[in-house]
Amino acid sequence: MIHLKTRSRTTLLGTAAILAGLAGPALAQEGELVMINWLGGAQGEMMTKLQEDFEAKNPGVTVRNVIPQAGGDARGGIRAVLMGGEQADLLINTWPAFRAELIEAGLILPLDDSYASTDWGDKLGESWQALSTVNGENYGVTYTFGDRSGIWYRTDTMATAGITPPETYEDFINGFATLNEADITPISVPAKVWAHAEWFESLLLRTAGADYMTRLANGEASWTDDEVKVALQKWQEMLTANCCDDGNTMLALDWDISVDAALKTGDAAYVLMGMWLNTRAKQEYGDTPGEDFDIFQFPAFGMGHDDESMVDAKEFNILSSVENREAADAFISYMLTAEAAVIMADYGLASPSTDVDPSIYDPVIQRSVDEVTSANKLQFVLGDLLPGDLGSEYRVALQRFLQDPSDETIDAITAQLATVADGAY
Amino acid sequence: MGGPDGPPKSSLPIKVKKQLSDTQAAWFLLTPLLIFFAISVVYPVIETIRLSFYDIRGLAPEKFFGWGNYLKLFSDPNFLTSLKVTFIWAISATFFSVTIGWGLAMMCSLSPRKTLVFRVMIFAAYGVSEAVSGFMWLGIYRPDYGLLNGILEGVGLSGLTQPWLGNPSTALGAVIVAYVWTQVGLPLMTCFASIQSIPKNLFEAAYIDGAKPASVMRYIIAPLSLPGVRVAIFINLLNSLKAFDLIFILTGGGPVRSTETVGFFMYRESMLNFKLGYGAASTVILLIAVLIVSIPLIMKRTGDAK
Amino acid sequence: MIGRTPRWIVPIVGIIALIWIIPIIGLIVTSLRPISEIILGWWSVETVTFTLDAWTQVWSKYPLAYAFWISCKIAVISTVIPMLLAPAAAYAFHFLKFRFRRLILILIINAFVLPNQVVIIPLFRLWRDLGMIDNIWSVIIPFAGLSFAWAVFLVKNYLEDFPYELIEAAQVDACGPLARFFYIVLPNSLTPIAAVGILQFMWTWNGLLLPVVFLRDELPLPALLARIQGVYDRNWDQVAVAAIITTIVPLLVFIIFQRFFTAGAQTKSGSKE
Repeated sequence: MIHLKTRSRTTLLGTAAILAGLAGPALAQEGELVMINWLGGAQGEMMTKLQEDFEAKNPGVTVRNVIPQAGGDARGGIRAVLMGGEQADLLINTWPAFRAELIEAGLILPLDDSYASTDWGDKLGESWQALSTVNGENYGVTYTFGDRSGIWYRTDTMATAGITPPETYEDFINGFATLNEADITPISVPAKVWAHAEWFESLLLRTAGADYMTRLANGEASWTDDEVKVALQKWQEMLTANCCDDGNTMLALDWDISVDAALKTGDAAYVLMGMWLNTRAKQEYGDTPGEDFDIFQFPAFGMGHDDESMVDAKEFNILSSVENREAADAFISYMLTAEAAVIMADYGLASPSTDVDPSIYDPVIQRSVDEVTSANKLQFVLGDLLPGDLGSEYRVALQRFLQDPSDETIDAITAQLATVADGAY
Repeated sequence: MGGPDGPPKSSLPIKVKKQLSDTQAAWFLLTPLLIFFAISVVYPVIETIRLSFYDIRGLAPEKFFGWGNYLKLFSDPNFLTSLKVTFIWAISATFFSVTIGWGLAMMCSLSPRKTLVFRVMIFAAYGVSEAVSGFMWLGIYRPDYGLLNGILEGVGLSGLTQPWLGNPSTALGAVIVAYVWTQVGLPLMTCFASIQSIPKNLFEAAYIDGAKPASVMRYIIAPLSLPGVRVAIFINLLNSLKAFDLIFILTGGGPVRSTETVGFFMYRESMLNFKLGYGAASTVILLIAVLIVSIPLIMKRTGDAK
Repeated sequence: MIGRTPRWIVPIVGIIALIWIIPIIGLIVTSLRPISEIILGWWSVETVTFTLDAWTQVWSKYPLAYAFWISCKIAVISTVIPMLLAPAAAYAFHFLKFRFRRLILILIINAFVLPNQVVIIPLFRLWRDLGMIDNIWSVIIPFAGLSFAWAVFLVKNYLEDFPYELIEAAQVDACGPLARFFYIVLPNSLTPIAAVGILQFMWTWNGLLLPVVFLRDELPLPALLARIQGVYDRNWDQVAVAAIITTIVPLLVFIIFQRFFTAGAQTKSGSKE
């Protein structure tokens, strides 16, 4: 008797569930959305605000964050989470090399079907879509990008030395003498961990171009090529022209000390850094973008690649363990809206969406966005494209170069990197 | 002073209580611990040894690699350099932290209550996490506006100012100083605890005999605080092999890998590069190295007890 | 200690301690000044304002009370376990005779060389299969298991100075090995037990790696506060607040437990040496 009652109750519930499911897409965005979110500090705050805004616009969906263990590169923690079989829907990814790893392991899904059924294709330009496309399939949706070819300076430092932001390499290097006389170190290069590599990469971009860099990152070009040597020689030229502190001092500086030197104390004139510097300058120094400090694009070298720009970007990937696909798609769509862009602009970040009203950006972001959008080709930061151990060898090799920027060193480190690269691909 | 062999068995004709044999008592006392140990240590170690025979790149599936990881390790110049750096690092850090801690413990033991505040201050350096200590010392060593260079300039020694963490010849020393700063609290505590356990009548007898504090320190306190010293050496030495956070924050292993210890190498390969097999192999080698050194020591000590 | 204490002892130790504590004073100052002032160092005296902003921010943004409770649970349980079991083991290894004694001792003590990351991934899979992720026991068990490596060594070292006559006396009174442990050795070993307690409490309270990996919502204090620090920016003032909050409790434990260091000496002096 009881047995029958239970069964009929279960059948009733089952039917109700089916009917509820059939009620249509209005109920589809419900439940939990799980995001692997490794952002901390100000960017973490920003993501929290975005999540809250999304939840307000989509009642019924709650966003839950899976927070991987931190420690230097966030990828290690993310891998631990994924290997442990943790279920999640969305992943924030800023490393193309990591995206490749995930694709090979079958852990993220191609998004072409979502691109077709939503307005993502309208809101993201071709070049942005190209960035996350691998072998013809698009695996990500870029939600923010930053110009990595921008050199920052303080307006009063430049005024003291009597220099205007240089546009060509000749102007740039000629300015060093004037700056040194005014007792200002022209460039602060933070060589402690990773940030010095940006200079090499920007030089390589201007002298060899984005296509070459892509081949180098894929292991198709060799580190012993002339292109690499030319870039290092240009850097050698700059160092001989007294652009920087001595080697050991550079090795002692991490990026935050360098940016302090350029943008706070004025001990240095230029620093090459990503857009998060904008947030730091606004919040921690209390400076006004455009007035107290500004940014100019990496100088032109006249070697045919001056209209190319280096960028970093963050994208969303959808994991193969996704359970709430509708909510995941909805969140991504939200990130491409104008409201989301306003929240991001507050934190000094730009959105690639065509929905964005550029007037929400301060002059510095505006300039960087213009440079990137008008660039002929975009190149992702090389360091984030290289596989793990090649990446760390590469940075240490550049440290050796800075200790002793001679021709012998150039030959030695290029040979060494070529050897490591052989084993890494 | 006595040992497991025990005194001659009781030869009372009447068995007063039912006694457990030594073996039964031992297993009773040890079993709970062994269960915790088996789960938390034995199982992961076996898994680590297993992993060391596989080639694992990031999230790719594991590929059996036989002895490959070990062969690569011994031909990897980074690993070999890290062994050298570790040797200097571990010995200096342990020597200085234990010596300073022991000295302080002996001094404090002569006046325990008045020195409590100071002991807490020094132990606080041990209690603060390595990462936070790293950040504090980063500010001290900063080349442009750091506290150390600032003080040197202030006292007229600007010739000595340096980019401490950027110069490969000073970087390791600078990191060791910071690390010793964090570690002295431990020997201070264990030696002080040892000294406090010394029976008071020994001191009474000595003072009655007219001994001066210096000789009391040398002949009574020093030798009888040795258990604390041994424990301090053990803990500090082995912790120094595992230290990672402080080095990571101060130098990131540089400049040009001059501060990369084996602990740093292991962490980087396993957690950052996620080459789990390779990192596991380096851990196994470290384990074997420590076993080789410790087995004779332990055999000797437990042998003595017999 | 009885006897004449030279007057130079306390001032010397004091000076050393005051120099020693400079970085920690720095930590406190960092938590009380706005970031823009201390960017170049907490000792900069250009403009000096003190503010409780960082403290109020951390207080309001993070569920500190619950995390504190979790930390207490984890640290207390993980500390009590070795405080009881390590002396038991040390006694067994030192005073009892049984097969495999040395082998097991070697295994346990050498486990101390293992870094935590060796433990993480295998245990993560195990806990996940057992459904124990986000259960504080997933952290307590390894904390306890890993502690025995040094805790047994520590207690055993102090036991080596143990006056054996007390045990002989007990044996003559027909006390079995277990009774000898509970009634004779344990009460006279308060010093090493307190030392184990201080260290284990501090390490488990401060422990970051295991909780961050094995726990999700049940986060202890340091894991929670680790989120404060960003990847792209360094909000030093809040980080300093987090560090101070986290460190105070183990220091209190140190102050309380170190009173037990003298307890052993008093009892032992009861034996006519």
